[in-house]
Amino acid sequence: MNRNNFLIHLALAIVLILIAAFAGQLNKWRKDWKSHVPRVVPAADKKRASTSTDIALAESKLNARPEVLVKFKPGVPLDAIEEITSRFNDRVEDRIENDPGLESIDDLDNADPAETVAQYSALPEVEYAEPNFEIELDAVETALPPIHPSDPRFEDQWALANSGQRGGKQGADISAMHAWLTTTGSDKVVVAVLDSGVDYTHEDLAPNMWKRPANIEAYHDDELGTIDDEDGYNAIDNAGDPMDENGHGTHCAGIIGAEGGNNVGITGVNWKVRIMPLKFMNAGGFGTTKDAIEAINYVIDRKKAGVNVRIISASWGGTQRSRALQEVIQQAYENDILFVAAAGNSSVNNDRSPHYPSSYPNVLSVAALDRHDQLAKFSNYGLKSVAIAAPGVDILSTWLGNAYEEKSGTSMATPVVAGVAALIMAENPRISVDQLKKRLLASTDPIIALKGKIATGGRVNAAKALQ
Amino acid sequence: MSLSKEDAVEKARKDLAQRLNIDAGAIKESVEDADFPDMALGAAEDDEMSGQMITSGWRIRLDANGKNYEYRADKNQVRLYKYKGRNYRI
Repeated sequence: MNRNNFLIHLALAIVLILIAAFAGQLNKWRKDWKSHVPRVVPAADKKRASTSTDIALAESKLNARPEVLVKFKPGVPLDAIEEITSRFNDRVEDRIENDPGLESIDDLDNADPAETVAQYSALPEVEYAEPNFEIELDAVETALPPIHPSDPRFEDQWALANSGQRGGKQGADISAMHAWLTTTGSDKVVVAVLDSGVDYTHEDLAPNMWKRPANIEAYHDDELGTIDDEDGYNAIDNAGDPMDENGHGTHCAGIIGAEGGNNVGITGVNWKVRIMPLKFMNAGGFGTTKDAIEAINYVIDRKKAGVNVRIISASWGGTQRSRALQEVIQQAYENDILFVAAAGNSSVNNDRSPHYPSSYPNVLSVAALDRHDQLAKFSNYGLKSVAIAAPGVDILSTWLGNAYEEKSGTSMATPVVAGVAALIMAENPRISVDQLKKRLLASTDPIIALKGKIATGGRVNAAKALQ
Repeated sequence: MSLSKEDAVEKARKDLAQRLNIDAGAIKESVEDADFPDMALGAAEDDEMSGQMITSGWRIRLDANGKNYEYRADKNQVRLYKYKGRNYRI
C-alpha cells in the first residue's frame, strides 16, 4: 500500500467511525425522547422490547399477556374454536366468561399482532379481532424505584400494590406506589365522606381528619339553626358529632386517607388529606334520603364558606329514585364538587335497573374488581351508567376502635376513586370538576373483563391520572 | 344492642305471629348463614339508602298456614323481605 492509498483508507475509516458514532447518538436521543412520551403498544411488542432495568416492572406486568382478542360469532362451538386456534399454531389463553365467544388468544409463533388479527378477521366464524393493547408505563413509572410506605400492614393492601399476594394477579392494582412519586396527597384537599360518620379518634385517621378552620363560622341553616360543626356534621341528629357507630364510614375514610408512612396500620390512597366526616346512616348502616340531602347541602354550604371541599365519596345507594336527591347532587356539581358513588352490589346492569345515586347525571359511578382483575361477582355494571372500576373485594381498612378489617363491596371501590381524585387535586388545586372527571376516566387501565361492561372498560390508575 | 342468631329468629317468629294472628308455636323455621348485598340486607324499605358493603347475616325462612315467609337479619337488624310486595324493618 503506497502512502496515498494509506491516507485515503485512513480518512474513510475515520468517516465511517464518525457516522457510526452519530447514528448511535441519534438512537440514544430517540430513546430518550420516547421514554418521556407514553405510547400504546401491542402486547407482543412489549414482549420483544428491551430488557433494560428501567422497563423491568413493565415486563413483569406484561409477560404472559395474550396477543389478540377474538370474538367468535354466536353458535361457534368451543371445539371449532380450538380447532381454528390449533390450525394457526395459537392457543386460547383465556376465555372471557361474561362475554360468550370472546377469546384471548396467545400466538405461539409470536407473529406480528396485526397479521394475527388479519388472519382471524378473515374467518367467517369471527365477528371481530383486535390486538391486545397495553398502555406502556412511562418514564415516571419506570425510571425511579416506587415508594414503599412504612405502614406495617401495607403488604395486605393489594388494591394499592398487588404483588400477587394471596394468589392475586401481579399488577392488578391502582399503581399507587408510582403515583406517590408525584404526590402523596395534601392537607389542603378536603374529601367529604358521606356515610355512617367516621371514627375520628382512630389512630390512623386522627391526623388526617378535617376540623372547621377558626376563620369559618359554625354551620347555620335557617330551619335547623346553628350547629357547631367543628368535627363535621351529623344529619341524623342535626348535630356536630359525626362519630361512626357502624364502621362502614370509618372503613371508607381509611381507604381515602389513613395516614401513610407513620409506621401504624395501613396507608390510604392519600398519605395526607383532610377527611370531612358526614353522618347520615345509623348504627345499622342505613339512612334516609332526606338526611343524605341535608348532608350534601352542608357540603355545598361549607364550600361556599371557603372550605376546599371538592369531592364527595358516597358508598351507599338504593333503587328508589328521588328527584330531590338528584337536584342537590346537581347543585354540588354546579359548585364544582365531584360526586363519586357506588354502582351497587346486586350483580345487575344499571342501564336496565338503575341504582341511585350512582345512576344520576353528573355522578361518577364505580364498579368493583377483585384481586384477579375480574369484575366482582356482586358488582353492578352498565355500559352507559357505570363509568369506572376500582378494587373492591377483601379491602383492608380502618374500623371502629383502632381496629382494621377486610370488607367487600362497591362501597370499598368508591373511596379508591375518590382518593385518586384527591391526589389529582393535590397536584392541580384549580382543576375543574369536569377536568377532574375527564382525567380520571382517560387514564384507566383497560381490563378485558370490563370490556362492554362499563363505559371506560378500565380500572382507575393513580399514576397515570397524575401525569 | 347486638343481636344473636337466636334473638333474630325469635324476633322474626314473633313478628310473623302478630301479622298472621296465629300462635308462634305453629310456625316452622329454617335458618341459614347468608351474605347480603348491602347493609339493608337487600331488603331496603322505601326511601331508605344503605351502605353498599357485603353484609353477613342469616336468612330465616318461616312456614305458617302453608305459606313461606323470608326474614333477613344480622347483628344490627331484622327485616321481612317482600311481604305483600314490600320490605319491612322489624
